[in-house]
Amino acid sequence: MRGTARTVAVAAMSAVALLAAGCGSGDSGGDDTSAAGGKTGGEITVRGCNPENPLVPSNTTETCGGNVIDAIFSKLVHYDAETAKPTNDLAESIDTTDNQNFTVKLKQGRKFHDGTEIKAKNFVDAWNYAAYGPNGQSSGYFMEPIEGFGDTQCTGEGDDPCAGAGKAKADKLTGLKVVDDYTFTIKTSEKVSNLPVRLGYSAFSPLPDVFFTDPKAFGDKPVGSGPYKLDAWNKEQSIVLSKFADYSGDFGGKVDKITFKIYQQSDAAYNDVIANNLDITDEIPTSALIDEKYKQDLPDRNAEKETGVIQTVTFAPTKVDPNYADPKIRHAISMAIDRDTIVKQIFNGTRQPATGWVSPVVDGYKADQCGEWCKYDPAKAKALLQEAGGFKGDKITLSYNADAAHKDWTEATCNSIKQALGVDCVATGVVDFATFRTQIGERKMKGMFRTGWQMDYPSIENFLAPIFKTGASSNDGDYSNPEFDKLLGEAAAEQDAAAANSKYQQAEALLATDMPAIPMWYGKTTMGWSDKVTGVKITAFGTIDFTSVAVK
Amino acid sequence: MGTYIIRRILQMIPVILGATFLIFAMVFALPGDPVAGKCGERPCSPAYRAAYIQKYNLDKPLPVQYGKYVLNLAKGDLGTTSNNIPVADQLKLRVPVTGKLALMAVLIETGIGILAGVLTGIRRGGFLDNLVLVSTLVLISIPIFVIGNLAQLYLGTRLGWFPVTVTSSNPSVYQLLLPAIVLGSLSVAYVSRLMRTNLVENLRSDYVRTAISKGLTKRRAYGLHALRNSLIPVVTFIGFDFGALLGGAVVTEGIFNIPGIGGYVFRAIRVRDGASVVGAVTFLVIVYLVVNLLVDLLYGLLDPRISHE
Repeated sequence: MRGTARTVAVAAMSAVALLAAGCGSGDSGGDDTSAAGGKTGGEITVRGCNPENPLVPSNTTETCGGNVIDAIFSKLVHYDAETAKPTNDLAESIDTTDNQNFTVKLKQGRKFHDGTEIKAKNFVDAWNYAAYGPNGQSSGYFMEPIEGFGDTQCTGEGDDPCAGAGKAKADKLTGLKVVDDYTFTIKTSEKVSNLPVRLGYSAFSPLPDVFFTDPKAFGDKPVGSGPYKLDAWNKEQSIVLSKFADYSGDFGGKVDKITFKIYQQSDAAYNDVIANNLDITDEIPTSALIDEKYKQDLPDRNAEKETGVIQTVTFAPTKVDPNYADPKIRHAISMAIDRDTIVKQIFNGTRQPATGWVSPVVDGYKADQCGEWCKYDPAKAKALLQEAGGFKGDKITLSYNADAAHKDWTEATCNSIKQALGVDCVATGVVDFATFRTQIGERKMKGMFRTGWQMDYPSIENFLAPIFKTGASSNDGDYSNPEFDKLLGEAAAEQDAAAANSKYQQAEALLATDMPAIPMWYGKTTMGWSDKVTGVKITAFGTIDFTSVAVK
Repeated sequence: MGTYIIRRILQMIPVILGATFLIFAMVFALPGDPVAGKCGERPCSPAYRAAYIQKYNLDKPLPVQYGKYVLNLAKGDLGTTSNNIPVADQLKLRVPVTGKLALMAVLIETGIGILAGVLTGIRRGGFLDNLVLVSTLVLISIPIFVIGNLAQLYLGTRLGWFPVTVTSSNPSVYQLLLPAIVLGSLSVAYVSRLMRTNLVENLRSDYVRTAISKGLTKRRAYGLHALRNSLIPVVTFIGFDFGALLGGAVVTEGIFNIPGIGGYVFRAIRVRDGASVVGAVTFLVIVYLVVNLLVDLLYGLLDPRISHE
């Protein structure tokens, strides 16, 4: 979990915020950014947490490991720190004429930390490894659009789907072909208009040959491709990175050494920043958010930025709980929630009330997609409920995982609903995130439950397809709308980004009618830093931008 | 005495085995999905899940899982944590830290607590007695996280007398001093009250009166006779408290970012990391048993009537 802003995320999102995203390393271009100056060299310490998995890019989807992976791996494209716009990094060009056959040309001379050159086969091998089911990589599903993905998956039933006849038919994706050392092609099984945008996610990092000889050792001491290399991972204590001398890309950093100090609590990290024992914390504890105390503790040494995180409340699938099936009831509940007040009272303004299902930081965002349904209007909410014939169940429930800070806002939300609609609403804690997700996954959770999403790549598509497409992996409410699916398909086929975005926006507008989930608020990241560093910027992913940070 | 100790040590074996089994069974019985939190907000991919479940034998029934665990244990392999770090390595790093912290806390609580208890017990009703009564009342009624955070804010961040957090994996006595004081503060209250009450009671007893009428100095009668007898419950408490401090310093460890056992067990339980929980708790069980044995032996020293022969 992360803090403040990230607290937001944290709090908001749950124990292990996702993160995939993280692509944090960078800013638009190398050294030009130094807003506040600062010299090159020196070392900094930043707050870290325990990676859940070995540090392999294709097996890391949570923030703790993701923050490190992002700093040590360069990808084909790099997301701009300010705007999240992708620019080519390892790629010289990514071309397609039909959104289905892509040709990737690499820049020559870029190197891994062991000195070997990054070639086309390093990408193809890494992606095949990620996709192949028996390797059990957590972000293997990112390869799903690539042709041949189905055959690389185990099909057996039960706890070991790879046993016996269920074994994956192929260990390579047929859609990937190495043309020469610096060229490879990607063929997707369906049209994908935003594939180049996705390629900046860490799952698409290249892997050096040494990885394949001993993946286990690699996970402990990864050999990356980015501006920083990993020197040491002292388990549960610190992760030390230093500048890679042979880095020749455009997104290098200024400081020579970055140490992630692992903290169990954000309060401890925050106090260390105040005492100048730690340089940057990407999580401000709740105690310091009250009345914006951190702004007095760290004057001019804090920053806040919206990130690609959204908190939603999802309705259980209709077959699980028919009481919420009528969109009018869903609209009534949404209109009964006073988002502004809750954000102010509970989150001290560290969230941004949502007006749609897509984060404002991504390409294709359109404001106010939810329209009047996301505006607090208790009178109209009540009228809508009556129109729908009242609420049939005995009370509205809003479930949350009780192991993270969700109790306050879910109760506030319920109170708001109760007062506006006159129907009893109860915030129900589920013991922990694991149990919570299991109940949702097995479709046993009734009523409403909290859901969060942190983007994997900065595209409007990432907030729609994985969550609301029929049968999608994170479609917890089993939402299915043929028209929505059709619009997504059309958008994926569009050659022109603007035209694709407009289709995605049309699809998003359908969500306002059906209301499969209630948008609550967008996340913000708040960071604080010591008086030793300067140029601290927050990326659109809520991570520290290591290209601009410098020692004073 | 020797046979007593050997018998006690032999008795520990079934206790340890039983404890590991119970803990193992309890972790096993926890509801929910062990991989659900490993991949962030979304469900883990089936491939990841299958690989993880196989790696940790999660698909096997309890007796098989436990059997495998004990077999590995016999080979000295404590297994790996859910994020793939050998449990033994973690314990090796963390036990000395927590041990040092708990020992310092016990020394602080014993020193201050017994001294305060004796002084107030001898001059009960005086100014000092009332002062200690009120201040221990205050200490007992304030939750430890309040004391910890306040001490960190004022003595660490504001005044800079102590380090704000522990920054090394092998912290010095100075780095651990503030956390140890915080940790020991609550027990100081208990130790001093226990000491005082027992002393007051013993001072009224016949043997003390006899000793004094026999012509012994007050100092000798109190110090040699009354104090020794009064220490028995205090030693019992301190022995128990040492064990509790080892595993129960979660809050203090969190506030001061101390890489100890408490935080480790807490995190392990939350993510259902069976190997870590069992490994760490088994260690704590052993410590409890050893400390209790020491306490029992101390009884004999304090009161010769208690014999271990």
